[in-house]
Amino acid sequence: MGVEIIFKIAAIGILTAVVAQILKQTGKEEIGTLATLAGLIIVLVMVLSLIGDLFGTIKTMFDF
Amino acid sequence: MELIFKIIGIGMITCIAALILKPVRADFAMLISLVGGVVILVMILSTITNAISLINSIAERTGVNGELLSLVFKIIGVGYLTEFSASICADAGSAGLGDKMLLGGKIVIMVMAIPIITSIMNIVLELLPS
Repeated sequence: MGVEIIFKIAAIGILTAVVAQILKQTGKEEIGTLATLAGLIIVLVMVLSLIGDLFGTIKTMFDF
Repeated sequence: MELIFKIIGIGMITCIAALILKPVRADFAMLISLVGGVVILVMILSTITNAISLINSIAERTGVNGELLSLVFKIIGVGYLTEFSASICADAGSAGLGDKMLLGGKIVIMVMAIPIITSIMNIVLELLPS
């Protein structure tokens, strides 16, 4: 919980960008967009679980 | 004391990561700043818990109405979350949406504060020599 999750998301972002770029060069444009979409979905799932934990702690702490 | 260094460090790292990714993938940059905000908030929450327990113990000793106090904490929570999400929206470029969330948060807080206002009115009315 901390810096490594930020680095993880940054790595996934850079990776999807590179993969999309490579696929674009080799002419498979649509697979590139699919790869970018997949990367985005993975990151969204991670971010959602993180926000879920945050809301959980706030709910218990401020006794909502 | 070293908590502040951790917060500043994570804030800086998040800014730089978001900056790197902004030209390449703008949506990832926004997600990174969001995650950085969440991480900092989680760190701050742990220090707020003992502040809240201190306030609770003081409230019991002074006989303040516990129910009102928990309402005050709920309002603080609402303000906390609204400001967090509004700044994320403003950061992502949709400042109008952030302002609307702030407006919504203010209204929710006003509605939650109605019992406090009524109890104050009752106390004031008792004081007045009717």
